[in-house]
Formats: sequence, C-alpha cells, structure tokens
Amino acid sequence: MSEGTPYPAALTEIIELFEYLPDQEKREMLITYADSAAKQEPAEGETFDLEDVRKDEECTDTVGVFLNEDGENRVNYKITLGPKVQTLTKAMTSILCKGLNGSTIDEVLNIPADFVPRIVGAELVRLRSQTVYYVLSRMKAAAKVYRSRKDAAKED
Amino acid sequence: MSDNKFSAYAHPEALVSTQWVQDHLPDENVRIVESNEDILLYDTGHLPGAVHIDWRRDLNDQTVRDYVGTTGFAKLCRENGITPETTVVFYGDKSNWWACYAFWVFQLFGHTNAKVMDGGRDKWIEEERELTREVPSYPATDYPEPAKRDDAAIRAFHAETMAHMKAGLPMVDVRSPGEFKGEVTHMPEYPQEGVLRGGHIPGAKSCPWARAANPDGTFKSAEELRNLYTEELGLGESDDIIAYCRIGERSSHTWFVLKYLLGYPKVRNYDGSWTEWGNMVGNPIEKDV
Repeated sequence: MSEGTPYPAALTEIIELFEYLPDQEKREMLITYADSAAKQEPAEGETFDLEDVRKDEECTDTVGVFLNEDGENRVNYKITLGPKVQTLTKAMTSILCKGLNGSTIDEVLNIPADFVPRIVGAELVRLRSQTVYYVLSRMKAAAKVYRSRKDAAKED
Repeated sequence: MSDNKFSAYAHPEALVSTQWVQDHLPDENVRIVESNEDILLYDTGHLPGAVHIDWRRDLNDQTVRDYVGTTGFAKLCRENGITPETTVVFYGDKSNWWACYAFWVFQLFGHTNAKVMDGGRDKWIEEERELTREVPSYPATDYPEPAKRDDAAIRAFHAETMAHMKAGLPMVDVRSPGEFKGEVTHMPEYPQEGVLRGGHIPGAKSCPWARAANPDGTFKSAEELRNLYTEELGLGESDDIIAYCRIGERSSHTWFVLKYLLGYPKVRNYDGSWTEWGNMVGNPIEKDV
C-alpha cells in the first residue's frame, strides 16, 4: 500500500496524476488508457489460477477476468472486453490492471471505490456511467473466489 | 440500402443514408452532430467535421430536470457553427437513441432543418468509412434566440400523460418487456437507477423500441413499421399518441419513427417517462399484462 492511502502505490500514482489534470486533458488521458485496454488481454496459451468470463446484467458486453498469483502472493490480472463495452469501462480496465497488478489479494479486496471519481472526474461519473465501477467489482469478486478456493484447498 | 426504402417513408427528408452524409461532409451548409450514450465515444473517433452534442451537458438544464431554455439553445448552436439555415444531421451510438433525442430537442426549438443518419455510428464504422479524432472548430454564428421552446406539440408532461391515460388514448411503452411487466425497474445491462416502482402506465401498450430497428441499427422499412404500429398495435391514422420509456431517449427513437417515418400527425414524447411516473406518490400502475 502507498503510505497514508488505502491504495497500492501504482494506483495512487495514477490517481494523483488524474486528479490535477484539467478536464480536457483528463478526457484525453482516459482515451489513451481506453486505447490500451486490448493490451490487458491474456497472451495466447497463457494459463491462470482463476478465469471468470461472463456477461452480467450490469454491463453491456462480456467481460473476462483472469487472475494469477505468484510465489510472493502478488496477483496479476488480465482482462478481456467485448466490443460493446463503454469507453470509460475500457479506460478503467487499463487503469486497474496497471494500478492493482502486484498487490496482494487482501489489498485488492480492501481498496475502497472512492478513487474512481478522482480519476474520472465528477462530470463523467453520472447516470448511466455506473459501469465505471464494474471492472473493479469483477476484479474484487475474482480475488474473493480465488482466496476462498485457496483456503478450502488448505483445509483439505 | 436503396432509395426506395427512404422514399416509402412519410417524411423521407428526415432520414439520410451514410452515403448521403459522406457526400455532404464538405458541405458548409450541413453540420454533422454526434450524440451518444457513451460519453467518451466521440473522443475515440468521429465523422470528419462532426461536432459533439452531449445530451446531459448540452441539452439538459444543469440544475432543474428540464431542457435548456431558448438562451442555452441559441448559445449551443452559435458555438457549433449552426445557423437557422444549417441542415443538422444527427447520428450516434445505440441505434441512434441519443441522435433521435437530440433531434427531438432541436424540434422543441423549431430547428426543423434536421435529419438523422440511418444506422448511426455503427453503420458508418461497419462500412469502414473514415473516422477522425480531430475536433473541428467552426466560426461562431449569430443564431437568434428562439421566441420560445415549443413543448406543446411534441412533448408530454405528467399531467397531460395522466389525462391521456384517463381518456383511454393510445400510449406506447417502448421499454423492454421485463420493465413493462414490472419484473425489473431498469433495462437489461443497465444498473438500477432509482425507480421505486415497476410496471407501466395503465392502458399503455408494449412495443419495445428495438422492434423498429434492424440488427445493423438502421430503421425498418415503412412496410415493416406499418405492420408493427398500425396493424399489430392498432394505432389509428389520426390518433393522439404518447410514447414513453425510462427517461425519454428510447421513446425519442419511437417518436421519430411514428412522426417522421410513418407520418402520424400528433405524437408526443413523455420524457419524464418511468423515472417520473414510477416514483410519483399515488400514481396508478399496472403490472403483469
């Protein structure tokens, strides 16, 4: 965690970068992140500790969350997005992969969602943009399931 | 799509093809306007020369739940290089929901020289036509402030909708079947957005907006639309019709179909829609029909 914040250092860095950007530059930065969403997809043949690909009511298209944990208990996420996913969701996918990869499961689960408006800006967090929180909720859900499975395996 | 499709509509001048828009990109008397649900979509690429009009930022009052007034509308047009003589062509995502919504708002202010691009943004992209990220800048115009925003002709308020219901006049609920039946209070793929009761206005008939659209986002043919609204739904030639949805954008799509493609003379959009009706204390609601 970044000192004095409940966020991982990489995420704190992104939040602080966005927070002081004028609105137009903030939009441009979001588009840059949205453009790189495809880079968060798994590589061909890559295997994962947990794969969760589904289409929910809350999102306009299928989202796949792929999680790996390394030997130091640090998680690494890869995300796939269907073509109908909104631009903000694409941007948040890149931001969250960059900001959360390398965190522990507990760190991911404890991150409050209050940083989202600080990145996206008040103008863009509004009616029908609630899916901006969706990818974070899916990443947390994957972390929770993975931990439960791990705990159950230990008990066995 | 052939010209025959367009000529069969009641007001073919209100709808243009992607090719028509392509041909008119250099036309100084035409202003292309993109209006989307995805608020960053325009920034990722848009038609060359197209300006961005956002339903919430540009068309809505920022305090009261209402549209901008005459001053705000004139300012919006001036800033986007639009004059009263400019032909404004709207297109957008979601099969043109928000394009139709913006078109409808422009009609409230009497800017009748307006069109919708059939198929919207998705069709343009599907046809591999050019997109750009360059944001155009047009010299400000002196668009005169309209004398009034003429709500009466094409907009229905709550009281009028209530009177309409009591009189048993035709109402079209264009939301999804689940919303109409009261099983859910939001459309599929969207979060719950604060509606307290589910169902529909008593007497309203269900006809989801999407039934008027083809899979590629274009409007169905005049014959298909007549079969749907005139035959199946039983709307009469001179009926006084109100369409509604959740906040008025999907019903703008149906309003456009009924008024411009089928030529019904009196069609109003109840933009308060279900977020007003389903939240108001004591409003009658019907479910499970």
